Amino acid sequence: MLERATPRVSQDDGKTGTRPVEFRGAGFVPGTSRYSGWIALLMVIGIWQLAGSAGLVNPLFLPTPSAIGRALSQLALSGALWHHLGYSVMRIGTGWLLGTAAGVAVGFAIGLSTLARGLGITFISALFPIPKIALLPLLILWLGIGEEPKIATIALGVFFSTAISVYSGVDAVPRNLISMAQSFNVPFATIVRRVIWPGALPSILAGFRITASIALLLVVSAEMIGADYGIGAFVLQAGNLMQTDQLLAGVLILSVFGLAVGKLIGLLEARLLHWR
Amino acid sequence: MRGFARAMLALSLVLASTGLARAEDALKATIGVLRLSSSAPVFIAQDKGYFRDAGLNVELKFFDAAQPIAVATTSGDVDFGITAFTAGLYNLAGKGTLKVIGGMSRERKGYPLIGYFASNKAYAAGLRSPKDLAGKRIAVTQVGSSFHYSLGLLADKYGFKLSEVKIVPLQSLSNAAAALKGETVDAALLPASTARKLMDEGGAKLLGWVGDETPWQLGAIFASPKTLSNKALVAKLLAALERADREYHDVILTSVKDGAAPINEQTKPLLEIIAKYTNLPLDQVVGNCAYIDPDGKLDVRNVDNQIKWLQGQGFVDKGFDAEAIIAKDFVKPD
Repeated sequence: MLERATPRVSQDDGKTGTRPVEFRGAGFVPGTSRYSGWIALLMVIGIWQLAGSAGLVNPLFLPTPSAIGRALSQLALSGALWHHLGYSVMRIGTGWLLGTAAGVAVGFAIGLSTLARGLGITFISALFPIPKIALLPLLILWLGIGEEPKIATIALGVFFSTAISVYSGVDAVPRNLISMAQSFNVPFATIVRRVIWPGALPSILAGFRITASIALLLVVSAEMIGADYGIGAFVLQAGNLMQTDQLLAGVLILSVFGLAVGKLIGLLEARLLHWR
Repeated sequence: MRGFARAMLALSLVLASTGLARAEDALKATIGVLRLSSSAPVFIAQDKGYFRDAGLNVELKFFDAAQPIAVATTSGDVDFGITAFTAGLYNLAGKGTLKVIGGMSRERKGYPLIGYFASNKAYAAGLRSPKDLAGKRIAVTQVGSSFHYSLGLLADKYGFKLSEVKIVPLQSLSNAAAALKGETVDAALLPASTARKLMDEGGAKLLGWVGDETPWQLGAIFASPKTLSNKALVAKLLAALERADREYHDVILTSVKDGAAPINEQTKPLLEIIAKYTNLPLDQVVGNCAYIDPDGKLDVRNVDNQIKWLQGQGFVDKGFDAEAIIAKDFVKPD
């Protein structure tokens, strides 16, 4: 038996030169204040509006928040807003689901199989950096100008990021957990389902955050292809016509959309990752 | 050796300083243009020194789309802009940030610029002339563009409603050409230069030219109110351009036959200037000569019609007409 040394209780009372030290190692804990972000945002909007109303900024170069609000309300009242949103949500949703499904499948294959790893990583590295917008004329030739090329543009953009985040997630699952499961003779499918999937989930969900934003970014390029409706098409048209207030109204819709999706993924994380 | 080098240095310094002195005397101006033959007089005036003769030191800034030229003129990055009218330009002009000061290229009978092209499938199915375009799917670059307006004029001419046509905006000429080649649209409006390659490959069929169907004022010279306050500068620039307009008209435009200019002793020097600035081979320049009024006149009535049409479609803010965006001191109405 190993004896532990009895802890020496300091009874010096400051006579031998030791002094009490207060606890320092609390780490950095940036607290989240509920209001500060909103107050800052409101102040920025207030200053922006004042600068516009006072005539300091040409409304053409930077429309005032009230002008953007007016454009937005006109859009909502005419009913066009819901039409635009409906089409864009359909394209983003379908494209994201397709890209994510393919990305998760390929990501797991790369994480688990040698053959898939060799092939997959090479192809992903070669194809990921191609700007999807440069391929638009080709996509039009292959898929026409219906919904297919629009969805394909978004799905392609989502696929590569998802595949990368999934296989890095699979790689990051602690090897000793897998070894333990293997030594208990747990079947392969169960290891994937019970050990690897939950282990990789945090990075997969972090990947979703990124790919959701990619899908939003790409909806503007996707709707370059002969779209009558859609937030991207609306933004493009406003830019073409130099209607800067409408342009910013469209951008605002996109960013609110981004916030909503971010919140949704936050909820998903809280639900699926409660064990953390 | 050293003495020689010193002499050369001194000589170059003297040359540089005299050059600088001359540049300071001349009025400086920058012009935003596209590398298209529709700006031919600008290239001629610059290359043959007409601007310099008028006491101007002009720098050309090249853009790759019409819209950014209007924006750059508004923001003061260029003093003058020369390009096609677009809905965006009218929206800027309607806010008073730029004014039209003269006319430039026109769609006119016998001068091919922008054409109606059919896909092979639609052609085989009986789409043979522009008046058959009613009820078809037609690719354009952008809504509210000059292509869109041309279609509007065509609809008026043949008595069909523009709403019967399915407009497909594809944002770029290459996308529109791809859609036509892939037969996913029935027709497209394309400039002669873009369509040439497609036609050579047998990817599309020509239906007709906009100029033959519906002539209109395509392009203009415009400037910001700040530039307009310098009346001497504007007058000199317009005079130099008019000299080039006249020469371009008399030498090249009057010799155009069957949509192409002949290459002969008179036309060759000017055609070579246009080829140099547009980066096109000479044989492509001859078939793509935009009509420009020899006196630089502007078809004000048509400009008003454009504004009204675009306002009716909801592409241009309401509440102004051609009068409001034209600098009357300079524009010569047609």
